[in-house]
Amino acid sequence: MNYRIDQQMNLQEKLEILADAAKYDVACTSSGVDRRNSGKGVGNCMTPGICHSFSADGRCISLLKILFTNECIYDCKYCINRRSNDVPRASFTPQEVCDLTIGFYKRNYIEGLFLSSGIMHNPNVTMELLYQTLYKLRTEYHFEGYIHVKAIPGADAEIIERTGYLADRMSVNLELPTAEGLERLAPQKKRPKMLAPIRQVQAIRQQNKQELTVYRHAPRFVPAGQSTQMIIGATGENDFQIMKVAEHMYKKYEMKRVFYSAFIRVNDDSLLPALPGGPPLLREHRLYQADWLLRYYGFETEELLSEEKPDFNVFLDPKCDWALRHLEQFPVEVMKADYYTLLRVPGIGYKSAQRIVRARRLGTLDYTVLKKMGVVLKRAIYFITCGGKQMYPVKLEEDYILRNILDGKEMLPPGVKPIPAYEQLSLFDDPRFSV
Amino acid sequence: MIRVFQCEDSLTGIMTGVYMAWDSHLGHQNVRLETACDQNMELFCEYVQVEPDLLRAEKVIKTVRTRLGEEAYEMMAYASACPHAGKADAIYRMIVLGLHLPDGKNISGMLTQPDVRLVFELKRKVWHIAHRYMGFVRFRELENGVLLSEIDAEADILALIAPHFSDRLPLENWLIYDRRRKKAAVHRAGGGHILLEEVDEEFMDRLRVSAEDDCYDALWKSFHRSIGIESRSNKQLQMHMLPMKFRSFMNEFQDRKI
Ligand code: SF4
Repeated sequence: MNYRIDQQMNLQEKLEILADAAKYDVACTSSGVDRRNSGKGVGNCMTPGICHSFSADGRCISLLKILFTNECIYDCKYCINRRSNDVPRASFTPQEVCDLTIGFYKRNYIEGLFLSSGIMHNPNVTMELLYQTLYKLRTEYHFEGYIHVKAIPGADAEIIERTGYLADRMSVNLELPTAEGLERLAPQKKRPKMLAPIRQVQAIRQQNKQELTVYRHAPRFVPAGQSTQMIIGATGENDFQIMKVAEHMYKKYEMKRVFYSAFIRVNDDSLLPALPGGPPLLREHRLYQADWLLRYYGFETEELLSEEKPDFNVFLDPKCDWALRHLEQFPVEVMKADYYTLLRVPGIGYKSAQRIVRARRLGTLDYTVLKKMGVVLKRAIYFITCGGKQMYPVKLEEDYILRNILDGKEMLPPGVKPIPAYEQLSLFDDPRFSV
Repeated sequence: MIRVFQCEDSLTGIMTGVYMAWDSHLGHQNVRLETACDQNMELFCEYVQVEPDLLRAEKVIKTVRTRLGEEAYEMMAYASACPHAGKADAIYRMIVLGLHLPDGKNISGMLTQPDVRLVFELKRKVWHIAHRYMGFVRFRELENGVLLSEIDAEADILALIAPHFSDRLPLENWLIYDRRRKKAAVHRAGGGHILLEEVDEEFMDRLRVSAEDDCYDALWKSFHRSIGIESRSNKQLQMHMLPMKFRSFMNEFQDRKI
């Protein structure tokens, strides 16, 4: 490595600036694609993804997440890299990104590269630089590990397409859940312009899937699919609006993942809300739980929230909350209920539901077996019977269950503060109760 | 009188034990499998030492894979890497039970059976450990270009993670050393990997890290520092996801003496 003198800034300083500037993007997963090494390169991919480390904020580090440059011609209010901010600026060269990726990958520090960027000169120049970098990495360095790259809205479709054949995942961040929010905080970004590359990538993927059924070795276009991200709590949208947008992105655009990022006030701007209690982490957590319910549990947003009840209950996970409002559908008999009914029982995850369905064909379940299968009995006992029997006598009553569930602590991720006292339950009714 | 087959604590050892127990024709209720020296001897038992035998083990493995399926085989391979006194016997019972089913492939989902359940639990545990090490292994590059790494895992995962790295880094020379078991997986560029037993750790002291490796070490540490968000700082969560026991081999948690 011999670029100590390059642009008066050494690689380490650049890396510090451009990793620091990239850290607010929450996506760091390396999942969604299985690829063995061709025998001639560096790297492979594993469907579930692999975490290589954890940062001081407890998030998984899987990819070398960096911006190509933190120069930007735009001035989005919430962004640390906005034009009007006086922050140190830096840009990599494609060569530097390749050296870092390969050097880190070989040492097993990372699972691959996540390359994002500020907008340098214009969207086309920026997208072309991202393409050049990926091209070098894939063809000169024969890198076969995971690559997640941003599609830059406003760049020519042709450059985005070329880039997509080199990447595993592409993403465009919606940033703010609604067009009004965008108008307020990122007036230079327009929703239709952001949706254009998303639509394009979706269309080419569909076409590519057909090609792949005919020619198994055809080049693959964005095999791990698209993702996007929304900032939570910078603008006034309620959870119902946010989940509707997410659901729309899953259904209409076949997104693989929608990420939610609790707003962090990095700029002092009168248009941004003050957050005395820190970023809204519990709210973010509830949104992720609901997101799982949409993707794996067959729920629809409208079952969980409504115009009248537009925000999640901060005290309860969304599935439990739903179950308590639908007690008429319980108890469920685990020896008989179909898979989709099992999925709706609090304390039964989709893996345990699969195990139950498989195991009961060849034997009789009991509570010990359920526990070993991963069912969280602490939650489930109110909602199930097994062989016609309850584990011990419990009442199927909202107040009773609520009291018992809230007494036993919910498993929140460490550091996400629960709402302390159950006595505050009256606050339920205040939808803007700050979390 | 129960005959106890004491086998070596490895997949080959256990599968050889399965072969011997079956072949003894004593009846399944009159035999038991143990991995050597993890239990005290009992009265009214006759102990037989089983020498690991690749051919016999392969025969059993082949039967398992064809009649009980890949999933069942994977469960057994992972479970056998877990330190647990009952694993060898549970694997044996699972095979016996599976071969008596009309469709042996159903055995891997039969969690109502205690033996299958134990194998399933151990598999889950070991898979989790192996999966974590796939991410947490850190290679240092030596002056001669060899990539070197050390692990210290609760379960015997070396044989389970080595194929992953063989596929991932086919053109590198690398070595992963299991300090606890004094074993190493060694891979030659362009070739496959082999497992070596009884490797003395002293050889590690003689090796010298390349100068370029110090650069990457420093770069990785600054990346690791920069990527955390201060206002979300959460050491508790970090500790939960990445417990201390893993950190001693991860360079981002060490100060390197140059
Ligand atoms: S375009 Fe991206 S990098 Fe530029 S200011 Fe907006 S959010 Fe920040």
